[in-house]
Amino acid sequence: MVAASAGNILTWIVWVGAAFACLGSGIAVVTFKNPFYSALALIGNLGSLAVLYLLLSAEFVAAAQVLVYAGAVMVMFLFVIAYIGHKFETPWAGGPTWQTVGAIGAAAAIFIEVIVAIGLKAGGRLDHAPHVARSFGTPSEIGRLFLTDHLLAFEITSIVLLVAAIGGVILGAHSRRAETDARA
Amino acid sequence: MREPWWITIIKAFVIINLVMVAFAYTTWLERKLLGRMQNRYGPNRAGPKGLLQPIADLVKLVRKEAFQPDSVENGFVYIIAPIISMFTALAAFSVIPFGAGWHLWHWHIDGQILNVPIALILVFALGSIGIYGFIVGGWVSDSKFSLLGSMRTCAQLVSYEVSLSLAVLGVVIMGRSLSLVDIVHRQDETIWFAAPQLVGLLVFFIAGTAETSRAPFDLPEADTELVAGYHTEYSGMRWGLFQTSEYINMITLSALTVTLFFAGWHGPWAPLGPLWFFLKLFICVSIFIWLKATLPRLRYDQLMRFGWKVLLPVATVNAVVTAALVVAFQ
Repeated sequence: MVAASAGNILTWIVWVGAAFACLGSGIAVVTFKNPFYSALALIGNLGSLAVLYLLLSAEFVAAAQVLVYAGAVMVMFLFVIAYIGHKFETPWAGGPTWQTVGAIGAAAAIFIEVIVAIGLKAGGRLDHAPHVARSFGTPSEIGRLFLTDHLLAFEITSIVLLVAAIGGVILGAHSRRAETDARA
Repeated sequence: MREPWWITIIKAFVIINLVMVAFAYTTWLERKLLGRMQNRYGPNRAGPKGLLQPIADLVKLVRKEAFQPDSVENGFVYIIAPIISMFTALAAFSVIPFGAGWHLWHWHIDGQILNVPIALILVFALGSIGIYGFIVGGWVSDSKFSLLGSMRTCAQLVSYEVSLSLAVLGVVIMGRSLSLVDIVHRQDETIWFAAPQLVGLLVFFIAGTAETSRAPFDLPEADTELVAGYHTEYSGMRWGLFQTSEYINMITLSALTVTLFFAGWHGPWAPLGPLWFFLKLFICVSIFIWLKATLPRLRYDQLMRFGWKVLLPVATVNAVVTAALVVAFQ
């Protein structure tokens, strides 16, 4: 019993740390003037999200999050930002209005979600802990779900990624051809 | 039976120190072997056979002034960059199994610090975070050489990481697990995966050489072109941390090769446990050094073409063929 409560306290400490790191780095992403530091803060944000996934016993998702998003995708961000160098002016100072509208909409949605969660909690409808199978979050279980219940979404995502890859190649080839034409 | 938490902590402490010693003597081995391959002696002044050279180097590095360029706008990021690389390099070793586990008095001791079901992905995830140390260190130094070095690191590591992960897919399919312990057990029951996964092994080793920026893929720190790449503006022990993390990455990669393809701590005969592991590790590290003495550096376009047009297709075909064969013979 003592061990269990010590484990709970540890979980709480990690949760509080990760949750505040998540919020803090999220705020840092939009407040830093230098996009390089914003990208670094975004890596921190993705990393603390991975810790939250770990607490939800989704180890595979957490590791994949770090490997794919915090690792591979953000490297590309940093690469581009470092290449552009010091020539940028704060690129998002006064962005398009639809961005502002979208941000306000998303914030409102999250706010409503928080209120609903608090309401459910107060109404006592969150008192029963959900049943979580031991295999939850293991690679094999995730693979099984991908290839059975969520096959369509999985395949559509792969097609979207394929389209994006081909589009990238075509755009790259196009700009290179334009460059050689201009030189000739 | 699970081992108590304090044994894990003691073990982690011991392993970290062993890895550090292994790093120190890898530098000695490298200088010695390179020296002999180039028809000279290598270090031979500090201690018998130059054996105290790594310790002398350490004392030198610690006492050296750690300067910082004036144009570094954020000193915190400048200092944290080598620490990140060092941390991830050391942490990756925690899931590498080096023995079958032992009974000591009435405690059970596992043959690795941690046995997690996603060990393999964990190693790759830590590696992909370690890249940031190199990129951020080069960027924040505010020097052209450093920036070019980190740009090269960025492009090279991202390109070869894909082949590296695809190369182990064959092993994962055959081992039916992402846990390194399970993969080693599976090889003991069936066959060392180096035989059926020879293509995978070759791709893994080549991509791994590129991932650790070793010759012939040492473009990120090509000293004739870039002074020292991303760590040009670092000195003293900060530079030492970068260097340490590179060597430890190489040791981890060798350990991973041994674990995935050569059955880890199992030997062809005599149950020597960790001794087999260290023997295989030693051979693997020596091959890395041998490559460095033998092969000239690739050109940048050759590097990219090789990574995307040769290594990646081969790794993909290997994974697909392995999957098909495993399903067919099941």
